[in-house]
Amino acid sequence: MTEIIRKLYAQILTKSHHRYRREWNEDLASDYCAGRMKPLERVARRFCAVLAAEKAIILDGERISLIRTVERLPPIFTPEEWRDIKDHHFIHELGCVCNISPDYASTISRGLDVRRTEALLRLESCRASGDDEGILFLESMIMEIDALFGLCERYRVEASRIGREDIAEIFAKVPRKGASTFREALQFFRILHFALWCEGEYHNTIGRLDQYLFPYFQADIAEGRLDEEAAFDLLEEFFLSFNRDSDLYPGVQQGDNGQSLVLGGMAEDGSECFNLLSELCLRASREFKLIDPKVNLRVASASSLRVYELGTELTKEGLGFPQYSNDDVVVPGLADLGYAPEDARNYVVAACWEFIIPGKGMDIPNIAALSFPKVVDACVRRDLVGAASFADFLAAVKRELGRECARLAGGIRDLWMIPAPFMSLLMDGCVSRARDVSLGAKYNNYGFHGVGLSTAVDSLAAIRELVFEKGELGTRDLIAALDDDFVGHEELLNTLRYGSLKMGNGDPEVDAVAAELLDAFADGTKELRNERGGRIRPGTGSAMYYLWSSREIGASPDGRRKGEWFSANFSPSLFARVSGPLSVIKSFSSPRLSRVINGGPLTMEFHSTLFQDAESQAKIARLVKIFIDRGGHQLQLNAVNRDVLMDAQAHPERYGNLIVRVWGWSAYFVELDREFQDHVIRRQEYVG
Amino acid sequence: MSADSARKRAGGGRGIIFDLREMTTHDGPGIRTTVFFKGCLLRCLWCHNPEGIAFEPELMVRSKGCAHCGLCARPCGHPECAELGRCVRICPSGLLRAAGERVRADELAERLLKTADIVEEGGGGFTISGGEPLAQPAFLFELMELLKPNHLAIETSGFASPEVFERAIALADLVMLDLKHMDPKEHARGTGVENAPILANLERIMASGRRFVARIPLIPGFNDSEGNMRAVAERLAPAKSRLRVELLPCNPLAGAKYPMLGRRYESIYPPEAAPRVDLSSFDSLGIEALVL
Repeated sequence: MTEIIRKLYAQILTKSHHRYRREWNEDLASDYCAGRMKPLERVARRFCAVLAAEKAIILDGERISLIRTVERLPPIFTPEEWRDIKDHHFIHELGCVCNISPDYASTISRGLDVRRTEALLRLESCRASGDDEGILFLESMIMEIDALFGLCERYRVEASRIGREDIAEIFAKVPRKGASTFREALQFFRILHFALWCEGEYHNTIGRLDQYLFPYFQADIAEGRLDEEAAFDLLEEFFLSFNRDSDLYPGVQQGDNGQSLVLGGMAEDGSECFNLLSELCLRASREFKLIDPKVNLRVASASSLRVYELGTELTKEGLGFPQYSNDDVVVPGLADLGYAPEDARNYVVAACWEFIIPGKGMDIPNIAALSFPKVVDACVRRDLVGAASFADFLAAVKRELGRECARLAGGIRDLWMIPAPFMSLLMDGCVSRARDVSLGAKYNNYGFHGVGLSTAVDSLAAIRELVFEKGELGTRDLIAALDDDFVGHEELLNTLRYGSLKMGNGDPEVDAVAAELLDAFADGTKELRNERGGRIRPGTGSAMYYLWSSREIGASPDGRRKGEWFSANFSPSLFARVSGPLSVIKSFSSPRLSRVINGGPLTMEFHSTLFQDAESQAKIARLVKIFIDRGGHQLQLNAVNRDVLMDAQAHPERYGNLIVRVWGWSAYFVELDREFQDHVIRRQEYVG
Repeated sequence: MSADSARKRAGGGRGIIFDLREMTTHDGPGIRTTVFFKGCLLRCLWCHNPEGIAFEPELMVRSKGCAHCGLCARPCGHPECAELGRCVRICPSGLLRAAGERVRADELAERLLKTADIVEEGGGGFTISGGEPLAQPAFLFELMELLKPNHLAIETSGFASPEVFERAIALADLVMLDLKHMDPKEHARGTGVENAPILANLERIMASGRRFVARIPLIPGFNDSEGNMRAVAERLAPAKSRLRVELLPCNPLAGAKYPMLGRRYESIYPPEAAPRVDLSSFDSLGIEALVL
């Protein structure tokens, strides 16, 4: 880390740059309402107003500029208007375009002048054909491009004024013209990313930066403009830029801002894409230990052990990065869902772990969640008494699962999103179609999380053993025990809860139940279509549904008591006594995961002490490789020290920088609600 | 008590184990699963696996979270609870368990071999630790035969008869031998047994030409002196091309499990004491040594 990077890093940690921020509470919505403006127009006007209110600030010594000074974007609808919209539409989360991956690369290489001309020409043809919607959309887009030019020009002037001719020179070129150096490309990215947040979109992912910026990096090195260390220095500063304004970005909890970076992966010919820039990105993340950007690493059976070893070095830092995904499983899985092979190969990771296609996917991969335990619970109460065999009962569960998928899909109608003309500029085909990306793109699939799988599987395994095989437990007795939350049924509770038939013990018969449930989830969603013609993608993630869905049912037949949570994502239940990480890997790599490829990682915590020596680290790298080689789809590996977490709860003031992985993202532990903290602490922790 | 009578007490034909752990990164090469045999003839004052000492199942109770409901004190009739004095199958919070499970070698092998494919892919194998694996020799040898041809490691105090030790090192791919103190009196004070049989077995493994690991638990004020380190290094020097030394600084949590067994841990060193960690005696003689 160079001196200047150290200084900029310190600024991030001390938040000293926050002093440039100001509240800006213009009541835009009332004016827009009075003017009966259309949503597109409102978005564009607010964008222009915010950018006009932005002040050009260049921090001492920095080389990549742009910093938010306007704290909050004022709403574009009055509360009454927004209520009315919500009454008539299905609104996903905050109602904005979110959680997609823009194609930054082609604009970075071509420049916004060219893109603006494209829009202008298309606008002319819309005018000629009288396409009013197209006209409004393209006018809005052009207005926003011009507002961005205005801000960048102010940055150029400011740079000149303070004698930073290097910065002034860059702003004289980008974003109007395409970038030709690594530094210009990084600045260009920063401008585009900044603009998206100012337009109101969120969970704006980064994508395969190590691929699309590699040509600039390579050219600079080849032509002697930069050496590796100088390039790394710029990259580090660039990494810091993701942490400047991130506290202003919307999310469920602080840190949930979707700045996901994807490294490595396989090229079309099966060769490894992991390059020097990928390696430098891992190194930068390791040095800073900051929660942004969030690092994902694409691997496959052909990946060398060295890639895993570099990944493990980062895991050691305790950020919960990198999250691994397996090309061998993800790419064919996406292709089966109808993604073109070249698009599938180019997949990236959304805010948490959902697989999406940069520039082409307007998928909503977290639109709903299927709760496996809820399905099992319904069947226990309705079908178990009459079931002649376990096979009978399992068949009933699978049928109910199919019905639940259809119910969930049927509940999503009249989806509406706030338009996003600037985002549209970075999404394939929006300009040529003259339509906003909020209306759809090449891919318009919805993703369903699959929540509480291990709870459901453990419940079914217990029912098979105790009710059907051993005949020790009557169905009515089981239901009574569930209704009593096991009070007065303590021996049964102990047997169910701490017995050995758990997903995660590498028991083929138990794991087969998991495979059947996931297959049923895939079958149950296969024929469903959403109103945009897209499909439903089943997945193994949970997001915050591991808390929400657990409240929908009472006690469950795996010995889980009322009010206890499910495990997050694709993991053993919280109280299951599993044999250890090898068995967990066996269990969790055994289903056909390419069929449930919306995303959702196996999450494992390793005690931080396991990473202390190089030999142990190499073994962990090898274990990750084994999970991937066995067909695991996605893995989050955390280095956690339970004692540290407990101490952090007691003394939050001492642990301002302690980072943990929550579900799909890392957060500062002390900033989390107690509920989330407890969950992190209670997760299965493996100590060697 | 002789090793043989210990085996008999463990329950005729079967062995007794107290834990099985996957991904033990400090128990030999590659990815491994370790089984811990229950029962040991040494009484090391710093022992951090106190449930590994006795050859019988024992009750382990975690008190944090106990609601004092009294369910575990009621008569239950479960055969495995009879000798423990409490029912371990009723606690709603899972706070009670039996440390120690009597198991046949073939059953245990089957359980371990469930992960054989993964440990093989991970260039590892199985490790037999304890307690003292050599204190249940017939069970140990049967298990090792059943686990072949996987890579097998044993972790031993070396306190065993020459015949048992010879047979064990012949079956194992890697032996990790503890050297707790070179001075006979100090060794007896710290572990309750003499070190003569251990040093004799050390000579045997050095003479065997096999590779091995010598492990030294570093206990502050007991064996971390320069003199003891030098004595160990000098003793090992003739076999330096075939061994590595691993120093294991004492675990600050060593006493954690004692209350769970209803025992008191009396540390021989103050809780804040840290051992002297110094590899120079080994380095100067060209012996590979590292701290775990």
